[in-house]
Amino acid sequence: MMKKTPAAAIAALGLGVVLAAAACSSGGGSSNGGNSSSSTSSVTMTFWTNATPGPGLTFFQNAVKSFDAAHPGVTIKMQAIQNEDYDGKLQTALASNSTPDIFFQRGGGKMLAMVNANQVAPLTLSAADQANVSAAALAGETLNGKIYAIPLDQQPEGIYYSKDLFKQAGITSTPTTIPELEADVAKLKAINVAPIAVGAKDAWPAAHWYYNFALRECSQATMNAAGTTLKFTDPCWTKAGDDLAAFLKVNPFQQGFLTTAAQVGAGSSAGLVANHKAGMELMGAWDPGTISTLTPNQKPLPDLGWFPFPAVPGGQGDPSAMMGGIDGYSVSPNAPKEAFEFLEFLLTTPQQQAYATAFITLPVNKAAQSVVTDSVSVSALQALNKAGYTMQFLDTQYGQNVGNALNAAVVNLMAGKGTPAGIVSAATEAAAKG
Amino acid sequence: MSHTLGNAAVGRIRRGALQVGDAAHAASPTPRARKRGRGRQRLEIALLTSPAIIVFVGLVIFPVGLAAYYGFYKWQGYGPPTDWVGLGNYKIIFTDPTFQQALEHNGLIVVLSLVIQGPLAILLALLLNQKIRGRALIRVLIFVPYVISEVIVGTGFSLMLQVTGAVNDALHNIGLGFLATDWLANPNIALWTLMGIITWKYIGFAVLLMLAGLQSIPGELSEAARIDGASYWQVQRHITLPLLGPTIRIWAFLSIIGSLQLFDLVYIIWGQYISGTAGTSTMATYMALNGRLAGNYGYGSAVAVVMFLVSLVVALFYQRFVLRRDLRGAVTQGVN
Repeated sequence: MMKKTPAAAIAALGLGVVLAAAACSSGGGSSNGGNSSSSTSSVTMTFWTNATPGPGLTFFQNAVKSFDAAHPGVTIKMQAIQNEDYDGKLQTALASNSTPDIFFQRGGGKMLAMVNANQVAPLTLSAADQANVSAAALAGETLNGKIYAIPLDQQPEGIYYSKDLFKQAGITSTPTTIPELEADVAKLKAINVAPIAVGAKDAWPAAHWYYNFALRECSQATMNAAGTTLKFTDPCWTKAGDDLAAFLKVNPFQQGFLTTAAQVGAGSSAGLVANHKAGMELMGAWDPGTISTLTPNQKPLPDLGWFPFPAVPGGQGDPSAMMGGIDGYSVSPNAPKEAFEFLEFLLTTPQQQAYATAFITLPVNKAAQSVVTDSVSVSALQALNKAGYTMQFLDTQYGQNVGNALNAAVVNLMAGKGTPAGIVSAATEAAAKG
Repeated sequence: MSHTLGNAAVGRIRRGALQVGDAAHAASPTPRARKRGRGRQRLEIALLTSPAIIVFVGLVIFPVGLAAYYGFYKWQGYGPPTDWVGLGNYKIIFTDPTFQQALEHNGLIVVLSLVIQGPLAILLALLLNQKIRGRALIRVLIFVPYVISEVIVGTGFSLMLQVTGAVNDALHNIGLGFLATDWLANPNIALWTLMGIITWKYIGFAVLLMLAGLQSIPGELSEAARIDGASYWQVQRHITLPLLGPTIRIWAFLSIIGSLQLFDLVYIIWGQYISGTAGTSTMATYMALNGRLAGNYGYGSAVAVVMFLVSLVVALFYQRFVLRRDLRGAVTQGVN
């Protein structure tokens, strides 16, 4: 009996140490498989995407399957992460050196921070790759002359609307100025639907209203300068807030918009449009894809239409300028060479066609743009080709810290708790925290 | 567990030593045996407690120290921190009106939880301590919300409490449509909605504790009081409540700490961004928003340290001034 107790204790101690060690190491384990790459033995790579369940996720599953099949010994482990959870999760992975080998890249200030910390690999594109991607999209993923992500699609932002509801409300043509939009809001209210849906619970969809007002009020030079100085002293920033505050006076958004999510479920802003509960939604080019997963029959909304953000009288910005995002994918500096090969594979015409079809979006490969046939995407593509210039979503452009504060401040304004000047001061205060 | 084993072993060693001593030379072998026994005892204690100590130090003490260290830096989480700002982060925290609001909400939640849940739990426990029909079923029903995961509760309530959700629909259907409101987004109401959900969720735990406390009160006391002519309420007021004191004080302690660290329900119902706007932000959601989500890991760590200190100070004060009575054995003295 006496001898047994220490033996059991040692066993318990051993078990405790093993458990503790396992707990500590589990976080870093995922990327190690990729680090030790070699051409002869098998290679396992981790791949993070923000694609939502539906055709988009299926596309990536198929792409991974066919890439694995064409490259014996290569296994890509894909993980789909809900869009709103993605940034925080990626940041944690970057901070703990467990970066996935291939990961969804938002670009802008977020990419700049990763580049400064050597957390993302510069990419060298072959001539074939260059031919597969539009120069404009590639420019958005370039910093100091180096390319840090492969863009897969372009996502100009505009207002998606239901043609049926517009017809019912007696709206004959889409609005081109804010006063016209306000008149249409009144007409939609008269037929008892929410004029405009916005998912303010996620903050960024609400903030995009402010960003687009800023795009109309501020000149291109002012907006670019703010990207490096993070100072919002130009009066146009407050003016944009005033515009939004004035627009809010007509109560354009659905009831309870503050607790509405953007993309998840029938009660989300995309769901409201999908189910004809709301007339319009300001969103990027992924919206038709999101809406199609939320319609009652899970098919694209047949009466969906698109128009660019209306002009603001007297603004310094180009009325044709567009705000948008680029969905790109980056490679970790420690990733095996097969990681970049997978991205090159995604740029090939058949993959780009499948991508554009699955996400109902605009591919970067010009040869694949022929699959864009639905009227919604065609009108967005035409507007994009005519735009004076494009600007990245400001919460991306100005980095996670300031972007986050801008988003929260705009929500405050929309909830009646903040002021236009408060948006500007929130951005300045956030810069002090980071 | 390990403690018990250790004592049992020591007992055996001592008995063994005495037997040896009794046999012939009482004085000499005993100290040596004791010494050896004490060394063994230390070894056993070290072996048996080391897994727990390793886990505790590695997963609690070490992260707290690390957060304190990061809190002195402006740090975005990429690479090692280099931008030393001293107490700069703390200055920003204490001058940030949104943090002050979060702290205020935490304070309100602490007080309201005690004021609402305490009396309600005692009344329910008194009721469920009676022999009434369906008592077991009612006990289970009251305890069920406590067992359900916070995520399920949060998602369920956020769907039901939408403007077009089930609660408002039900109110319209029973002719109370004028009560329908924006339960979650109206800053004047949202905190009370949160209190309602918290009460529903955690009342079961309070009732469970109070019931256990009630059952440890000897029946003879109230019997004697009743023979002396005390009414039911007099018995509860002068016999039950004082004897339930230790239970109430422990429950209040757990409730206070839980309220100070409240995060999950708020985060699920109001999401990552808008709890501040709706007036339900807590220190923990402030930390998640301004630390992790904004990518300011240095600043977020400083907020974590502030939260830790607030909880620690409250806990120490409570133990020093409230729980001290229980440690001196107030119950037995009260009975005598």
